[in-house]
Amino acid sequence: MPKPRTVPRLAAAAALALGIGAGAANPAHAGGTLTLAQVRDPGSWDPIATFLIAWGELATNVFDGLTQRGPDLKLKPGLAESWDVAEDGKRIRFHLRHNVTFQNGEPFDAEAVKFTFTRLLGPEGAKGPQQSNYTAISSVEVIDPYTVDLILKEPDPVLLTKLAGYGGVIVPPKYVQQVGSEEFAKHPIGTGPFKVTDYQPKVSVTMQPFAGGWAGSPKLDQVVYRFIVEPDTQVAELQAGRIDIAADVPISALAVIKKDPKLRIDSVTGPTVTELRFNITKGAAANEDARRAIVMAVDRDAIIKSILQGEAKPVASYQGELSLGYDANLKPLPFDLAGARALLKKAGVAPGAPVEIDFPGNNATFREVAQAVAGYLTAAGLQPSVKPFEQNVYTNDIIPNGKTGELYQFGWGGWTFDYDNTAYLLYHSGEHWNPYVKDKQLDAMLEHQRTDINPPERKAELQAIAKYIADHVLDMPLYNQNTIYGVNRRVQNFVPPPDNRFRLTDVTVQ
Amino acid sequence: MLGYLIRRIALAAFVVLVVTLLVAWAVRLSGDPAVMLAQGSTVTEKDLANIREALGLNRPFYVQYLSFLGGIVTGHMGRSFMGGTSVALLIGHALPLTLELAFVSLAMSLVFSIPLGVHAAVHRGRGADQLIRVVSLIGLSFPNFWLALMLVLVFAIELGWLPPSGAAGGSGLVLPAATLAIILTATNVRLVRSAMLDTLGAQYVMVARSKGLRENVVLYKHALRNGAIPLITFIGLQFGGLIGGVVVVERVFNWPGMGNLAFDAVSTRDYPVLQASVTILAVMIVAVNLIVDLTYAALDPRISVAA
Amino acid sequence: MRPWLRRLRGTEFVAGLVLTALMVIPVLLSDLIFPGRGEAMDLAARLSPPLQTLAHPLGTDPIGRDVLARVIIGGQVSLTVGVLSVLGAVIVGTFAGLLAGYYRGVWDMVLMRIADVQLALPFILIALTFAAILGADMWKLILFMAIAQWVQYARVMRGTVLSLREREYVQSARAYGLRDYGILLRHVLPNAIGPVIVLVTLNVANNILLESSLTFLGLGIDPLTPSWGGMLADGRGYLQSAWWVGVFPGLAITLTVLGLNLLGDWLRDVLDPTSQVRG
Repeated sequence: MPKPRTVPRLAAAAALALGIGAGAANPAHAGGTLTLAQVRDPGSWDPIATFLIAWGELATNVFDGLTQRGPDLKLKPGLAESWDVAEDGKRIRFHLRHNVTFQNGEPFDAEAVKFTFTRLLGPEGAKGPQQSNYTAISSVEVIDPYTVDLILKEPDPVLLTKLAGYGGVIVPPKYVQQVGSEEFAKHPIGTGPFKVTDYQPKVSVTMQPFAGGWAGSPKLDQVVYRFIVEPDTQVAELQAGRIDIAADVPISALAVIKKDPKLRIDSVTGPTVTELRFNITKGAAANEDARRAIVMAVDRDAIIKSILQGEAKPVASYQGELSLGYDANLKPLPFDLAGARALLKKAGVAPGAPVEIDFPGNNATFREVAQAVAGYLTAAGLQPSVKPFEQNVYTNDIIPNGKTGELYQFGWGGWTFDYDNTAYLLYHSGEHWNPYVKDKQLDAMLEHQRTDINPPERKAELQAIAKYIADHVLDMPLYNQNTIYGVNRRVQNFVPPPDNRFRLTDVTVQ
Repeated sequence: MLGYLIRRIALAAFVVLVVTLLVAWAVRLSGDPAVMLAQGSTVTEKDLANIREALGLNRPFYVQYLSFLGGIVTGHMGRSFMGGTSVALLIGHALPLTLELAFVSLAMSLVFSIPLGVHAAVHRGRGADQLIRVVSLIGLSFPNFWLALMLVLVFAIELGWLPPSGAAGGSGLVLPAATLAIILTATNVRLVRSAMLDTLGAQYVMVARSKGLRENVVLYKHALRNGAIPLITFIGLQFGGLIGGVVVVERVFNWPGMGNLAFDAVSTRDYPVLQASVTILAVMIVAVNLIVDLTYAALDPRISVAA
Repeated sequence: MRPWLRRLRGTEFVAGLVLTALMVIPVLLSDLIFPGRGEAMDLAARLSPPLQTLAHPLGTDPIGRDVLARVIIGGQVSLTVGVLSVLGAVIVGTFAGLLAGYYRGVWDMVLMRIADVQLALPFILIALTFAAILGADMWKLILFMAIAQWVQYARVMRGTVLSLREREYVQSARAYGLRDYGILLRHVLPNAIGPVIVLVTLNVANNILLESSLTFLGLGIDPLTPSWGGMLADGRGYLQSAWWVGVFPGLAITLTVLGLNLLGDWLRDVLDPTSQVRG
């Protein structure tokens, strides 16, 4: 990194401070440079070494998997043009794309696939968190340079989805062996449309198009991701015209961006469902009727309409419309304050019973939602309190160790878009994210669907699970929030991705 | 004097050692970085165990602490938990930026507070003095992040003169430095004023005046210069506080300095980065305090006896 | 007229007193003025601007609560945090400083080393780490600020005691066989109280700001209980679209803190012996 030259900057700062200097002009964008704000620096680029969402968001540009998910999140061919799954589901044969090269000129072939998975499943992969996602794979067999078989220990219904990202992306064997994992983590090489040309930790990463990419060369000259943690700072940068796309725009900034003639809002249904989960072992929440009453007391539609300004959809379970297991017939409990009061009385909950709502304090939007929920619970005669926690303590300690209040915020973005992933981890006894629910019947349902490789049957099973959970009011489903982008109008052909993974091949800037 | 010097340096080293121990201990109370790293949706206890093993977190505390201390001494401060970037590299990027911010804000503040403080002292008790003191206090009466947000709103968004965040290009420095400078000016005006009051009545000032020197020459060349020593030591102390206190301002302006680095490290439980950056900050504060004390001691021999 | 009395007419004193009174008196009476404590929520009337209706002269916040009521009620938390944290620090700091200064030796050594260590710690980072561990409510904020600041008072006390203990009247009191605590209480404490009062005023102001900073960084008090810091955090995202949500609590902080700072500054001027000589 070129060292910042201090002297001219001091001079500039002093001149401006004294009011001598002219206003500093915003740096003009070069011909086709797209600048995006990204919350966190992924730190390492090595696919097997990371679990970070930030990695997934950035590395989509650099790496490809055998399969791929488009902006609509449907599975489609990636580095494999097609695949066949054997009858017993224990062997998947991939027919690889021809004439693909890595960004350093290394050819992509079956050996690269074998190397990738051997590395992932071997001692190198054991050091990282990705390996256990792919333990269903027992071995990789090269049939010919463009045909490769994944041999599985047991059928894994979400494996094909998992091959599209994270540990499943294909890495260049010669390069990795030559420079070593440590260097690879800093200077990644993949088959993707963009090549990392400059990386300044905690500041920015610059990418340039890879002309030899199999999916055609991107139209942009350059892409710069700047790491900006505070969402409000991202919005300010967007307004100042210094970034073109701000991800994670806070709801409170919607009005400002909509009003600005240079900017627009692009929003799309997101993968994250936010709910208030019940601590079914505590206070009023231990009683199923009381839980139902608490849900009925809260006008979730009004919250969506006013606080979230319509940028969310009501949900009845922990999944959005795109998820396998979604059931359009499962409706949220209706808002009914009088009914809630009556039900609370029936459940024997005394007026003024305490209900504590926990949430991570850095979530500005939920801070408002939590207060609104508390307002409704007050109206129902309860005594709510709202408790913000530091994010890390919240997710590391308060939730997994079962230290929450009666209600606690829990957002869940199942990146596989399969309810199995969500439901098992959130409701099966003994799971990390399930401190409270211990239900033998539910456990059995969750276990059974995992062995089912017939998608329609499995879908029905997943829907039954969602209904069971809703019937026992294990949570207060709130909403599936849109992913909202603030975009400069000079950006063309931008398809807002639900999951912050930008596909920039067709994007241009004016 | 040499004995005093050695004793003070030993004490400073001891303080830094206690700070490192405190920080290493406190950060480990605050949660498991493995869970932080495994923020994906399919984490299992086995993953967590793997991560802990890879990060060396399954070793006993004293082993982890000693290896951290060793790293500080040898300069090999380990790797960030967040992706394995070298801690030395991260600090190498961040430290100059924080120092730059601190120096520039201090300089900006002095540009305003010296003439204002001198003016206030000369017109002690009169309208100008009161006005300067009251107005400069306003700067100290804002929450610092609030002041920062207001400056962004006016100068970056409404007027579009300056970038709202980032360290790229010289203009990015102006708003964060101005935020800190406004807060510092409230204190510095008072320091300059009282230093001037101490010297204005002194004999050499009278002499200079009686020689018929121009008033500005008297004020700045004679009075201020002689009042400068306590001033400089106070500013030295302030500098230490400034370095520790830039966290919020760096945050709002996305200034990639030590404050932001350490704040991120707190929120991601990045032990190596947090330990190293707090230690570096503490060493700097202790060093500045030490220099201030030694300057005092050199100027006033009674101090070394008293301490 | 005695010099300190003459100073009462100074701009700083008058402005400080007026501002402080203006902010503190409504807060003290807030439960009488707003018995509903500004808790009533109305999502349909969220973010309505000031001066539109009599019910909400300063407008409403993002969940439709009255900004005026919340600003006034919110002062309770901010002032409680400011005052109690300083009170705690004063009590502990004074006691420790007196002991260390009077007895010297080990007490002094330990105190000064603790002071050195605390001075070397970047406060906000430590605050964040500990608030993360302990969780944050009002009492923990108070406790934490007190722990962070007692050293200041201890240092001031110690300094005063050191300068006094060799003075004639203290020596003679000792010669007359007065007990240690009697000497400390009757002779030392009154002499040290001036600088402590100055520090108290400035630190109450400082801690009101600190409460808002910690809340801004995502920690702090139950958002249902209005506090100035919490309201600033609520209003941050709305600065451009609904300025009143954040600007009024910000104004309340600034005016209160300015009032206290002016009083503190004035007190420093009055109580500082060097300035009295020339006054």
